[in-house]
Amino acid sequence: MTKRKLFFRMITASLIRRRSRMLAALLAVAVGATILSGLVTIYYDVPRQMGAQFRGYGANLILLPSGEGADFDLDAMRRAADVIPASELVGAAPFRYETVSIHNQPVVAAGTEFAGVQAASPYWHVSGTWPDASGELLLGQETARLLGLKPGETLSVVFRPEGSDAASRGTELVMTVSGILETGGSEEEYAYLSLEDLASLTGEDGTLSVAEFSVSAAQDRLRNYAETIQTNVQGVSARLVKRVAQSESTVLTKLQALVFLVTAVVLVLTMICVATTMTAVVTERRKEIGLRKALGASDSSIVWEFMGEGLLLGCAGGALGAGLGFAFAQAVSVNVFNSSIAFQPLLLPLTVLVSVVVTGCACLLPVRSATEVDPALVLKGE
Amino acid sequence: MFFRMIRGAFVRQKGKMAMIALTIALGASLATAMLNVMLDVGDKVNQELKTYGANITVVPKQDAVLEDLYEIEGGDTAAYLREGELGRIKTIFWAFNIVDFSPFLTASAELDGGETVPLVGTWFHHHLETPAGEALDTGVQNLRSWWDITEGEWLDEQAPQSGNAVMLGASLAQRIGAAAGDTLRIRTRNGTEKLTVLGVYEGGGEEDDQIYAPLHLVQRLSGLEGKVSRVEVSALTTPDNELAEKAAKDPSSLTASQYETWYCTAYVSSICYQIQEVITDSIASPVRQVADSEGAILEKTELLMILITILSLAGSALGISNLVTASVMERGAEIGLLKAIGAQDGAVTALVLSEVLLTGLFGAVAGYFAGFGFAQIIGQTVFGSAIDMKPMVIPLVAALVTVVTLAGSVPAVGMLVRLHPAEVLHGR
Repeated sequence: MTKRKLFFRMITASLIRRRSRMLAALLAVAVGATILSGLVTIYYDVPRQMGAQFRGYGANLILLPSGEGADFDLDAMRRAADVIPASELVGAAPFRYETVSIHNQPVVAAGTEFAGVQAASPYWHVSGTWPDASGELLLGQETARLLGLKPGETLSVVFRPEGSDAASRGTELVMTVSGILETGGSEEEYAYLSLEDLASLTGEDGTLSVAEFSVSAAQDRLRNYAETIQTNVQGVSARLVKRVAQSESTVLTKLQALVFLVTAVVLVLTMICVATTMTAVVTERRKEIGLRKALGASDSSIVWEFMGEGLLLGCAGGALGAGLGFAFAQAVSVNVFNSSIAFQPLLLPLTVLVSVVVTGCACLLPVRSATEVDPALVLKGE
Repeated sequence: MFFRMIRGAFVRQKGKMAMIALTIALGASLATAMLNVMLDVGDKVNQELKTYGANITVVPKQDAVLEDLYEIEGGDTAAYLREGELGRIKTIFWAFNIVDFSPFLTASAELDGGETVPLVGTWFHHHLETPAGEALDTGVQNLRSWWDITEGEWLDEQAPQSGNAVMLGASLAQRIGAAAGDTLRIRTRNGTEKLTVLGVYEGGGEEDDQIYAPLHLVQRLSGLEGKVSRVEVSALTTPDNELAEKAAKDPSSLTASQYETWYCTAYVSSICYQIQEVITDSIASPVRQVADSEGAILEKTELLMILITILSLAGSALGISNLVTASVMERGAEIGLLKAIGAQDGAVTALVLSEVLLTGLFGAVAGYFAGFGFAQIIGQTVFGSAIDMKPMVIPLVAALVTVVTLAGSVPAVGMLVRLHPAEVLHGR
């Protein structure tokens, strides 16, 4: 029998014979590895997931016409939107404001694209339904209250071009109120209709007054996008919504720091816990070490054998833990953020490596101390 | 005899017992740290989210939007809230949850160049004595945390020389070429006034084209002493649920017990309702942009922390019980010997369990304090404030450690005790 074969036989035999103890050690390593892989996966994924939650605050980048008479239309907005990767652009909503009158009262009407608004401003509460056909409009709560209108009622919207004489009838469009908008902000004072309806009312396509982008990106990257848009798209000036962008970066940084520190504390404590368990498991084998030394085994061969065992345990526990940890992270992601998580292939070797190192170090200390002592003393149990 | 044996075990097996105590301490500290952080994270994140500004606005009941829609300024048609009543906001049921609030009164001022700009009166750093006898410093300095002071400094109306000091928006300052320290002449309905520019701010919104001045100054210039047109309130709230949504639509549709639950929970709608109760003729409504996202983020963070805590608890429980099992198993020979010289099974079990539990007690106490320390490190590093010590963590950790050590040792002891002493001693 070659030396190497004997080595492996001793290791596997020890693992099999001492099943319960080794199971305990394996369990300890696997628990540590599960926590490691689970928390690290979450740590990497949280910024993305949390960032998505912060988009609930709405637009963080707005586009304005760069000056009087600047050519800022839907095309310009689309070109600007192309600057931002599709995966990061949560929503884009154009707005064109005109003053119209409803029931002979002046009201600011905003032409927009409702699909874009719903994506960019998820905090808009609509009682009734969002407009989805031509001829429907969304009325701000305050305006609706003032005019005494409810969802489903019809009204006529009248537009008189600026400077036209007050007696002129202007153009008129009969529309249905599909829903009442509640935001708690100035939006409640406006009436929203589709860009097409506003164009047919005013008789011209007109330029946009503002476009709101909701971008899932940190403040620095957002600033870069704003600069790129500014230089690449004519007639548009891009500005960060400071309140949203800045607060987001402050709070998100803190949340990430929280998850990072929690991960660090849990990992350190767990790894020490794994190490003490391994040490305890090895310490009880002092007699075996003494016996081997008495039979003539060299110190290094004993150390190597124990390290071999540790390595095997570390690999098995690490691989098991990596799998369980991913399952845990997946469960967290689905429960908390309703989205699944991608498996980080790099995490498997990392988890196994850390497990092996921790197990190895934990074994090394007691084995070293056992081999340094005279076998007779160890066997006598002193 | 029993105690002598236990004492003997601790003295003779110092190293081993220390190892068990250390593992239990680690597990207990992990549990303590995570539980403390988890129970406090809601409040902490809630505080952080206050950087988004007010989540409730209070406006006078009478046709709040008239001014905006018809561009009537100041006139007598508009309704106002009374400045004297503002202190009452700190007397509502959820007074403790009101973090900041600030009144606003907008007038218009004509500059030298003939340009008319909005003049916004507000509290910057206002000292308020509430009717309940508390003192509170509040104002836009807290409510506009995202403002950058590009020149000069924040206005502080508590400072003696702040008489006619104002702050300018960055765009406006650039347009009229004003800098901090300059004197500005404005004309309002009540005559001409000289103002000192104390600072220039950049807020990234329409406020950059406005002048912010102390409330009393604007009240005097527009002849509206004691009146404010809007109050912004920043409150700590609980995420909305079905009950809150139903109540927000119509509080009178609730049953008596539902009403009580709703009123006594810090939902944004119940806080709004309570503010309306104390401020005459007011409408308080949630700023959806802030209130909604706040709720969602809070909920997600808390859930995330709960799940991480469960993982850590499970991890430390497994770690402890695992080690305890291993250490009890290795004492097979000792247990066999005790039985061979005539010890009863019960006595042996009691001996081993007392040893383990005593070790566990030491470990748990040390672990609790260490864990509390870890929680403080997290709190100080992340939020810059201490994590509250929650008394409920102590019984939780105690129960966890007891259950886990017992679960780890009882089956092992039982198994060893059932074996025939000869077999155990023989080493099979």
